[in-house]
Amino acid sequence: MSDTAPDPTAPASPGHVPWAAGPARQAPPFLSAAMRVFDLSMGQMLWSRRTIFLGLIVGSPLALGVLFRVLEMLGVTGGVRIEGAAVTGPTIFGGMIWILYLRFIVPVLGVFYGTALIADEVDDKTITYLFVRPIPHGAVLAGKYLAYLVTTVFVVLPSVVILYLLVVPLGNGSLAASFTALLKDLALLGIGLAAYGAVFAFIGAYFKYPLVTGLVFAFGWEPLAMLLPGYLRRLTIAYYLQALVPHSMPQEGLGSALQALFREVPPVWVSLVWLAGYVVVFIALAARTVERKEYVLEQ
Amino acid sequence: MTAKTRYFLVGSVMVLIVGLSIGLVAFYGGMPSGLFSGQSGPAELKYLPGDAAVVAYANVRDVMNSELRQRLRRFEGVTDEGRSEFKTQTGIDIEQDIDHVVACMGTPGAQAERSGLVVVTGRFDATRIEALALQHGGRTEQYKGKRLLLAPDAKSGADEHPHAEMAMAFLGSGVVAMGTADMVRRAVDRAAGGSSVQGNAELMRLVGEMSGQSMWAVGRFDALSAQATLPAEVTERIPPISWFSASGRVNGGLSAVVKAEAKDEQAADNLRDIVRGFVALAKMQTSGKPGIQKMLPDVQLSGDGKEVAISFAVTNEMLDAFEAARAMGDQIKKLEPHAPKQ
Repeated sequence: MSDTAPDPTAPASPGHVPWAAGPARQAPPFLSAAMRVFDLSMGQMLWSRRTIFLGLIVGSPLALGVLFRVLEMLGVTGGVRIEGAAVTGPTIFGGMIWILYLRFIVPVLGVFYGTALIADEVDDKTITYLFVRPIPHGAVLAGKYLAYLVTTVFVVLPSVVILYLLVVPLGNGSLAASFTALLKDLALLGIGLAAYGAVFAFIGAYFKYPLVTGLVFAFGWEPLAMLLPGYLRRLTIAYYLQALVPHSMPQEGLGSALQALFREVPPVWVSLVWLAGYVVVFIALAARTVERKEYVLEQ
Repeated sequence: MTAKTRYFLVGSVMVLIVGLSIGLVAFYGGMPSGLFSGQSGPAELKYLPGDAAVVAYANVRDVMNSELRQRLRRFEGVTDEGRSEFKTQTGIDIEQDIDHVVACMGTPGAQAERSGLVVVTGRFDATRIEALALQHGGRTEQYKGKRLLLAPDAKSGADEHPHAEMAMAFLGSGVVAMGTADMVRRAVDRAAGGSSVQGNAELMRLVGEMSGQSMWAVGRFDALSAQATLPAEVTERIPPISWFSASGRVNGGLSAVVKAEAKDEQAADNLRDIVRGFVALAKMQTSGKPGIQKMLPDVQLSGDGKEVAISFAVTNEMLDAFEAARAMGDQIKKLEPHAPKQ
């Protein structure tokens, strides 16, 4: 910003506030602005009504883990069984990572938090307060995305660690043998939250009904594309994320059988590159959308 | 950032640090082995040699008294004739007098057949068994305070490798060892305190996972594959496997887990892909046939890193379906003679 009076005919630049009175202030750089939004959004995100949902969704695997431990302590039916077959702790843990975290918790958190980054501000008609600040609009999205990532990672990863301690020792399972798998699980869940969050942040910024669009993507498009033979699955996040899972895919019904039959696993480096690409491209797209889109607040 | 948010983040990080530290300590062997698991295997493992390639265990009482066995006996139409004869001869009622059996197999090679040992625990009439052995041409021998019963010399005929002398010995109260005379003598030595399979860390790691199972076998896969004469086309396509374990638990039905530990993660992935393909094909084949589905166990594939595990269960419902199918088959056989000739 310059110290001279603004030219009213000049085209408005992002973050430029032509009617602002008083002495002009130096706009903070992008990163600094993003960090300020992050600081503000962290508290809002963590202590909102969504936290109850977050607690329930992340607490349910832990409740299951406690239940398994109690069952084993009581010696009920000789340990935990799946369809009659006794299973050890590491197998249960692997199954829970696949079914509960990878296929449900990570996409659900991505949908509910990611799509809300901008959409919530629009719905609450508070986006104006953010956009009149002398900061790039993209920094608002970046800061909010960072807050989403920290909130979800710091809730999901501790729950996985607690689950590991609860479930892996079942049936004489070895904590030591599963430790490397735990590290991989933590890393891939972090990557998954980042990738899904980026995609849903874009959906939240671009679409009018982001939640519905997000749910269709996460629980319609992704499972369907994963079942179909061919190249469509490469347009999903699950395809690359599942290649990083250190546990075997659980067999549950014909859907899993089909997926197992047509399953092709990309190399780890390919998956990592694609997932990183998803994060960068969709955050950039979301930031660009936020910079250019004019949000109409419905009265 | 508010203080509340900061406390939350610090708490979250603390949980991560504590959990990962416990895992790390366990990973580097600092965790006491008994902290999360019970006693590793039956006490009779102390009689088995430290270089055993395969160790197996069966809880005979569990198996004999199980509902599964009773149903299978009815299914097969087995009578008690053979069991009664054995009891008359030896005084041993297999169903009641034998508690469990522990066995081992040696390293594959020329002497593999001579390195097996079976240790049976139960209630035995030593005098009666000895009298029976002597009656059949056996002889006795004292070895380090234990009485060995040696089988009559086997006639090897034209075989260039003479058969090893078989023997049995009462190692303790209700504990009998059977095998080649040499192996039984070594078991007597180990009873006095010597290196046994309990000192074999790799095998005992696998044995430790078998707690609560009615029967199990663990060991080196090369020992197993050396015994099974598989076609070269099959053996060439099996990814390299170092260890295997198989366990089963009998109750109303049978639940079993077969695990293989591949040489590396790549080999494990290949093995998982092979198994996954077979399981998926089998499921697709039977997806439209609920009658057959009822009779087939549901196979679960699992395992992390180098480990591949397949678990399945034979449930009461499956046995019911088998019995129903068999009854239907019998009915059809009965009606066949009366069917109109074409």
